Parts: sequence; structure tokens; C-alpha cells
Amino acid sequence: MKRSFLSIVRKELIHIFRDKQSLFMVLTMPLLMLLLYGYAITLDMKAIDIIIADHSAGPESRELIRHIEATDFFKVSVYRGGVAHIGELFQNREAQCILEIPRDYGESIRTGIPVQLQLSIDASDPNAANFIQNYVSRVATLSFAGYKGLFTVEPRVFYNPDMRSAPFFIPGLIALILLLICALLTSIAIVREKESGTMEQLLVSPVKPVQIILGKVLPYTFLGFFDGLMILIVGSLLFDVPIQGSVLLIMAMMLIYVVTGLSLGMLVSTVAKTQAVAMLAAITMTVLPSMLMSGFIFPISSMPEIFQLVSRIIPATYFIEIIRGIVLKGNDLHNLYKPASILLGLDAVLIALSIRAFKIRLE
Amino acid sequence: MGKIRSLVKKEFRQIRRTKAYFALIFVAPFMQLLIMGSAITNEVKNIPLVIVDQDKTPSSREIIDKFKAVSIFDYLGEAHTAEEATLGLDDGLVKAAIIIPRGFERDMERGLSPAVQVLVDGVDGNSAGISLGYITSMAAGIQKGWMMARKLPVSGGVQVIPRYFYNPELDSKLNFVPGLIGLLLLMITTMLTAINIVREKELGTLEQLMVTPLGGTQLIIGKIIPFTILGLLQFSMGILAARLVFGIPVQGSIPLLYGMVLLFIMTTLGMGIFFSTVANTQQQAMFVAWFSMIFTLLLSGFFVPINNMPRIVQYLTYLNPLRYFITVLREIYLKGTPFRNLWKEAVILGGMGVFLILASSMRFHKRLK
Repeated sequence: MKRSFLSIVRKELIHIFRDKQSLFMVLTMPLLMLLLYGYAITLDMKAIDIIIADHSAGPESRELIRHIEATDFFKVSVYRGGVAHIGELFQNREAQCILEIPRDYGESIRTGIPVQLQLSIDASDPNAANFIQNYVSRVATLSFAGYKGLFTVEPRVFYNPDMRSAPFFIPGLIALILLLICALLTSIAIVREKESGTMEQLLVSPVKPVQIILGKVLPYTFLGFFDGLMILIVGSLLFDVPIQGSVLLIMAMMLIYVVTGLSLGMLVSTVAKTQAVAMLAAITMTVLPSMLMSGFIFPISSMPEIFQLVSRIIPATYFIEIIRGIVLKGNDLHNLYKPASILLGLDAVLIALSIRAFKIRLE
Repeated sequence: MGKIRSLVKKEFRQIRRTKAYFALIFVAPFMQLLIMGSAITNEVKNIPLVIVDQDKTPSSREIIDKFKAVSIFDYLGEAHTAEEATLGLDDGLVKAAIIIPRGFERDMERGLSPAVQVLVDGVDGNSAGISLGYITSMAAGIQKGWMMARKLPVSGGVQVIPRYFYNPELDSKLNFVPGLIGLLLLMITTMLTAINIVREKELGTLEQLMVTPLGGTQLIIGKIIPFTILGLLQFSMGILAARLVFGIPVQGSIPLLYGMVLLFIMTTLGMGIFFSTVANTQQQAMFVAWFSMIFTLLLSGFFVPINNMPRIVQYLTYLNPLRYFITVLREIYLKGTPFRNLWKEAVILGGMGVFLILASSMRFHKRLK
């Protein structure tokens, strides 16, 4: 019983180490992904092209332009005189927004009459459009501050006081990379044997389905876990994201999550008939949903309610909650027992389903 | 010509025979487009909010009522102490908390300008910034009302009047749906080509094809034609779904759009063939295709504006066909941009497509010998 299980494990290990090219990719690609994604994904807007049409051309309007130029949020070009074809400028992508300062601007400011600035925005990226509007409004009102209100608002930002992108994305990225790698690793573990005809040999040997499935999952667990640790350490050090909570707890959770990814791939593998189908299915099921629906970038609470349910069946959703909780907020198990137990439950269900699918195949 | 036709016929027969392919090429992308197109948004809504009212005066109650009334916030109720609010933040149940201090109303009357504390969960810096923005502007509105009621002077100052072009409602869908169509097209065509060829290699049928009177070039053309047709079909389904389900019409010229799609498919198929020459097994092909895909997605400007990225990473995006295609899609789709403003992208995509197909075919020939 135990011996046949171990021999399956040994056989898989031999498979893993024999294919040096794949092994190399499995070990280096997560790091590469972490680096590129870590550096490239940032929601801090920068260098937005703005055209300022200054009809007034007085000291007051120059003052305002200086305020806008002072941030690295905008790349300013100043036009003296009017802007005729706004649509053409946008279609040429010469600017993302155009601010017009009216002729009577200077005078209005001096005499204290309210004045309006027209801001045209290319809203084909609505998020950026929103930012632009907020930013210009803030700069415009700030330059004429100095009035005292009835009360003030004093913000305090928790966990990530500078609201940097890295502490938000790096933990999420670990969740994403791990799931992708793990699902892909096992997605062909069984179907490969079917295609190459070695399945029959396995079937006539005295090994039980449970042993085959678990025996194939175990060696990949080491591999996935190793990958996870590697990117956790590199990500935390390189991107300056200190871990507030217990590293041991992260490791335990990671182990659970690695098994989720692996057993998901395993299930695909037992159901699919060819390797091509298995891998395509694994990729379809993991890449886009885990990136877009898990709260990795887009907030789940903003989604329509039905689609929030969809995000609830994506394993990455739970692990992202867990790892962000531990890394950023220093959460411990009593904050996180819910997502943790859901992941554990998923593990059990997925493995049970794979074993069942495998048995049905046998008959 | 006849030889190529029979090869194309064979490919289609193989694709038709594998039922799962149909699901993966047409059903799955369609579903993904539907679900993700409706779900993902950059907007910040339903922010779970608690308020700690230490003042318990008409003024503080008015603040609470104002926040309750807005759907941007999901008002969870009153917390009794600041500690309770903080615990909520720890558990992730609360994303923002407002603390109205004791003596708020009294201090206001005395002109002491008391501070209302706002606690936000900063884990998601982007959303946190937006939530803070909402809260401050709500507070400013309340304040303005009070000042006017008390006949205090409200400063006029500068007002910015925004005019939003192309997407006046600032609907995220208009931005994401065309992009998603491009992503799905890339994923499916690249991977199908790569696996298809490697599979023939693995099964040994590629050698059988080689001993037939088909030349290498004919072989490649025979592979390109069916996958181009599949890609076009998939794309058409995408724009149909965008129109019928999301109500997003193509503003620009449809022939121009299809011309661009053809150029783009050349690049994706070229990449697919290239991956098939690098890999010996289907697993390797998938790994390579998949990893390159992840990078292609990221560096395309789909998720994050390319302007936000560090300089070096921005240079990398110039090598990415998807970057140009997403630009083209969004331009034609939303802004109705004509060809004269897009010829640069067309030239680059076309050049990349021809280069990728030629280079990978040459590599393919060499490999076979």
C-alpha cells in the first residue's frame, strides 16, 4: 500500500527532473513574472499629456500653469490662443485632456468673481478621466486656498499609509503566479499517460486511484511550495513590502493553496482526453479569471452582485484575502479562519472529484 | 493550390472532430467576455463604512444621514468606539470609518474648526484614494450647506467644468470590452497554432506530412489559413456580443477594423509557429506560450496605462503586438478614429506579422532538416 504510493511519487519525481527545460521554466518563470509585473503594474498615474490653452496669458494663469506643471502627473504643453479641433487632437493621441483658461481669468481672480475652467477629457479610459478631473480640480482650488471652514477632515490611512501600489500588488501577484503554475503543472499529469499509452500499464498495476492521484500531487506540492517561498522572499525584499504577520502562518496557508492549484489541474487532467485540451482548459480556467475577478486589481465590492458570486468560486480570491491580511495588516488565524477553511474545503472537494472522475474513467 | 486546400480541409476535420476544441475556441471566450465584461470595473462602489458618533448632536446626526443616503457607501451602522472601527478594518469587513469627536457641534459654533477623523484601509491604494476623495467632497458639500444656512461667506474661487469625450458616463465597460476581445483573440490563436504543430511533431504525423509532395511553405500556409479563419470567426463573435449584450457599437469603420485584425492575427500565428519550433513536447509549448502570454497581456496597456510604467518597461512594450492592437481596437471602437491617424500602428503590426511568420517559418524549415 505505502510502497506502491511511494513508487508513484518516485516515478513522478523522475519525470520532473528528466525534463530539464520544463523544470528550468517552472523555477525561473515565476521570478521573471514577479519582477516584470511588480515593476510594471502600478496604478499611480504619471505623465498624462495635457494641453493648456491659455487665452488669458496673465500672471494669474501662468501661476496656475506652474501649479499643474509641478506634479509629475502631467506632461504640459501650453498653447497660446485657441484649440480648434479637439476631436482631432484626441484621435491623434496628442493629448488626453485639454484645459482652457478663459480670457477674463486674471481679472476674475483679482476681483474675486467665481470663474469656470473648461476641461475636455478623452474618457476612453474612464479611470484616467476620473483622476484627471479630480486632480485638475484640486490643483485649481488649492492655488486659491486660505479660507477657513466650519470643520476639517483629517484622513488617516491604515496599513499602507503612502497608498503605494507595491504593497497591494506584490502579495496578490504571489497568489496569482502560484495558482497559474500549479494548475499548469498537474493539468497534463494524467492525460499525458493516457496519450502515450502508459495509462493502461498503470491500470494493470496494483495501485489504487487514490494512490495515483495523491502520488502525483505530492511531488508537485514541493515544487509549488518552493516556488511560492522564493517569490515571497524576493518580492518582500525587492519591492520593500515588509511582512507584518507571521511568516509561518503564510507558509502554512501557502501549502493549502498550492494543493488547491494542483488539484484543480489534476481534475482537469482526469477529465480531458488530450494534453492540448487539458492545458487549454487549465489556462482558460486560471489566467483571466484569477487576474480579473479575484480582487487582484479590480475591487470585488464594486462588481454587480451576481458576479461577486463568481469571484467566490475562484480560489485566488481567498488566498489574496489571506496573504494581504497577513502581509499588510498582520492578521492572525482568527481573522482569517473563514477563507482558510474554504480553501481547505476546496482542496478536499477537488481531490475527491479527481479520484471519482478517475474511477469512472477506469470503468 | 489543391495541396494546400486538402491540408486546410484536414485541419478543419481535426478541429471539428475534437468537440472540446469547439468549447474552448468559441464557448469559453464568449463566456469570459460576458462575465468579465460585466463584472470588472475600476469604479469604487459599495464602500463598507462605519461611523463613530461621539458627539450625538443634530449636526453629527445630519452627517450620518447624508452618508447613509449615498449608494457609493454601504453604511454598516454605528461603531461605539474608535477601537471597534479599527477592529473592523483589521477583519476586512470595514473599508472606511468616520469618527465625529465629542464636542463637535459646540466647537463648530465657537469657530474652533474641529477635525473629523477619517480612517481608510489603504491596502488597495487606488481605491483608498478614491474613497477618501468621496468622503472629503461629501464633507465639503455638507459644510457648504451649513455655511450658507448661517449666511457665512462661501468662497467662489475656481470651478473646473469637465467635458468627457467618447464615454460621457465614464463606464468602464467601454474601455474593457474591446480590450478583452483582443486578449481572447491573442490567447486562443497563439496557443492553438503552437499546440497543433507540436502535437503533430509528438505523434510523428509531421514526418508523414513531410514525405508527402507538400513543400514546407505550403505546409505553413496550410496551417495559417484555417487558424486565421477561426480567429476571424472568434473576433466576429466578440464584436457581435459587444453590440448585442453590452450595447457597444463600433464607432469607426468596420472594414478598417477587420483589416487590422488580419494584421494582428499574422503576428499571433507567427508567435504560435515560433513557440512550436522552440518546444519539443506539448507541455513545453504550452509553458512557453502561456508565459509569453502573461507578459503580452501585462505590457499591452490593457490593465494599466503604459505611461504609468517605468521607462525601461515602456520600451519593452514597443515589442508587443498586442500593445498596438489594443490601441487600434479602442481607437476604432470608441473614438471612430480613421486610418490616417492609425497608419503607424498598421505599419508596425504588418511589419511584425510578416517578420514573425517569415522568421518562424524559416526556423521551422531548419528544424525539420
